Amino acid sequence: MDVTIAEYIRRTVLKIPRDEIQTVLQKWGFLSEAQLQSINFHQRKENTAHEVVQLCEENSADIGQAAVLDIIYNHIYADKRMWSVYQMNKTGEETEVFYLTDFKKKIKRRLQSALKNVTITFREYEHNAIWIRIAWGTPYTKPNQYKTSYVVYHSQTPYVFISASVYKSNLPLLCQALVFASNYHDIREMELRSHSLNSLKDIVFKRYSQNFQTYCPRPLQDRNVAPESADPRIIQENKNEKERIQRVNREVFGDGPQPKLEFAQYKLETMFRSDPEMDVLDKKEPFRCLVKFSSPHLLEALKSLAPAGMADAPLSPLLTCIPQKARNYFRIREKKGLLPGSFVSP
Amino acid sequence: GLLAHLEMLEMRAHEAAVKKEEMQRQEEKLARLKARVQELRLQRDELRAKVDLQQKGQLGKEGVVSDPAQPNAQAVLEWKIKSLKAMLQIFYLTGISSKLTKRGVCFSISTAYEGTYLDSYHLDLLTQPEVRIQRHSVPIFIPLEQIAKKYLQTDIRRFMSVLSDHLNAYVGRRYQADQLQEHFSDQIEGALQRNSLCNLLVFNYNVSSQSKTFLFNARLLYGDLCSILPTEVVISCTPDAPASLAEMAGAHSDLFRHVALHKAFRSFRSAKES
Repeated sequence: MDVTIAEYIRRTVLKIPRDEIQTVLQKWGFLSEAQLQSINFHQRKENTAHEVVQLCEENSADIGQAAVLDIIYNHIYADKRMWSVYQMNKTGEETEVFYLTDFKKKIKRRLQSALKNVTITFREYEHNAIWIRIAWGTPYTKPNQYKTSYVVYHSQTPYVFISASVYKSNLPLLCQALVFASNYHDIREMELRSHSLNSLKDIVFKRYSQNFQTYCPRPLQDRNVAPESADPRIIQENKNEKERIQRVNREVFGDGPQPKLEFAQYKLETMFRSDPEMDVLDKKEPFRCLVKFSSPHLLEALKSLAPAGMADAPLSPLLTCIPQKARNYFRIREKKGLLPGSFVSP
Repeated sequence: GLLAHLEMLEMRAHEAAVKKEEMQRQEEKLARLKARVQELRLQRDELRAKVDLQQKGQLGKEGVVSDPAQPNAQAVLEWKIKSLKAMLQIFYLTGISSKLTKRGVCFSISTAYEGTYLDSYHLDLLTQPEVRIQRHSVPIFIPLEQIAKKYLQTDIRRFMSVLSDHLNAYVGRRYQADQLQEHFSDQIEGALQRNSLCNLLVFNYNVSSQSKTFLFNARLLYGDLCSILPTEVVISCTPDAPASLAEMAGAHSDLFRHVALHKAFRSFRSAKES
C-alpha cells in the first residue's frame, strides 16, 4: 500500500472523535468483523489510528477505499464545512428520467477528459442524495487528497450543494460537468450559504414549516400557553400585546424549527439620509456599508426577538424573507424614482 | 372603702355596656349578611331559570331532547365544536380544500393512496393583479412550474386537478416502494434503487423454481407521472438461469405493469406459501 494512502487514512481516522471511530469504520465496511474486533478503541487515538492503518495494509487498501472513508466522515460531519447552493435551469419541457449510472459516467468522463489527474468517488445516501468527492490534481501532479470538493445532488431537483476546496479555479469545470450530467442547460450560484447542509436542503426543498392558513384539522393544542401562574394576584398587564406578538410571530415563522443559518449579510448601497440642513456629504453618493447578522442559529434568534421584547413585531421583511427567498446575502440599492426607498436586488 | 367599691361597680357596668354593644353590632352584621345571602340566592335562581329557558328554546329548535336535570350550555358548545370539526374533516377528506386569505386563496391538497392518507401540500395563491403562486410546499421535483404555466392563468380547476394527480401519483409510487422495502425485504437482494420522483425503480429479487432460488433484476419505469403503475418493465435474469425462467420473467413483467408493486409481492408470498 502506498505510503501516502496510509498517511491519508491515518489522518482521516484521527479527525474522528474517539468514541465514533468504531461506528465509522463499521459503516466503511472495508475491514472485516474480525479485524474490527481486534482493534482497541479505548486507547489514545494515535494508537488506534496506527492499528487501523496496519489492518488496511493487510487488506491492501487503495485510494478508492480511502476516498470512501473520507466521504463517510464528511457525510457525518458535514456541518464542519461551508456549503453553497447552486441552481440549475433547463428550458426543456419534459422531465427526463434520471439514470444514476449514466450520471456517474458523464461526470467522470467530463472531469477526466479535462483534467487527467482527479480522484472521483460516488456514494448514495437516503432520500436520493448522491455524494461526489473530487480530489483535484493538475496536468502534472497527482490528485491532492487533501484538496477536495464535495458535491451533494438529489436526482430530479435543480439544486446542487457544493463545498468547494481551496482550488476555486476548478469550480467552473465542476459546474459544467454537473450541468452536462444532469441534463440541464446552465447553473448559477445562489446567494445562500451555511454550514448546516440539512438546513440548506430544508430551505430550497421547502421542507421547513411554513405557516399556511388552512382548515387542516390539527388538534387544538395550547401551543404557546405558559402554565397560568397559580397565584391569581399576578396579573399580566400586557396580555393582549403579548398574544398579538405571538400570533404575528407564528404567522411569519411557522410552528416548527427554523433552518439553521449562521449569518445574513446586507450590502447597503443607499443614500445617506440626513437632515437637509446638516448636509453631511458634499456629493450625493450612495453610502456603502455592510450589515452582517451572525448567530449560532440566526433564524431562531430572529424568531425570539419580538417575544423577548427586543424588537417590534412584525419584524422587517428583509429579515423574515430569508427562507422564502432562499438567500442570506442581499444587496440593497436605492429605489429609482420619485419616492425615496430601497429595494432588494435579485 | 366605699369609693373603691363604687369605682369597681362603675367599671363593671361600663364593661357590660361595651359587651352588649359589641353583641348588638355582631347581630346586626349577621342579619345583614343573611339578607345578602337571600338576595344572591334569589338572583341565582332567576339566572338559572333564564338559562333553562334559553336551553329549552335552542334544543327545542334542533329537535334534541334537553336534559331537564342539568342546564347544558357545555353540551351545546361541545356539539357545535364537534360538528365544525366534522365539516373540516370532510373538506380534508375530499382531497382539495381552500381558504380565502388576505390577498388571495390558500389551497391544500391532501393526498391518499388506497385508503391511507399521506402528506398534505399547500399553495398560497395571489389573485391580484393576476393569479400567481406566492409560496408553496410542493416538493421541488414535481413539475409545478410547467403545470402552472399551462393552466394557472386560464383554468384554475384544471391546474389544481392536474397538480393533485401528480402529487397523488407521486405519493402512491413512493408508498409502493416504501412498502416493498419495509415488508418484503426478505425477497429483495441488496438495495432498492429509486429516484426522487420514484418513477424509476431498480432492484434484484429472489424467485424460486424447482426448489432452487434465482435472482431476477427488475427495472420499472413510470413514464406517466400521473400514474401509479409503470409504463415499462424490464425483467432480466442471470445467464445461467434455465429457460423456464424466461416465461416466469415475462409473467412477472406483465404483473408489475398491471398490479401495484407491493400487492404483486404479496401474491408471490402467498403463492409460495400455498
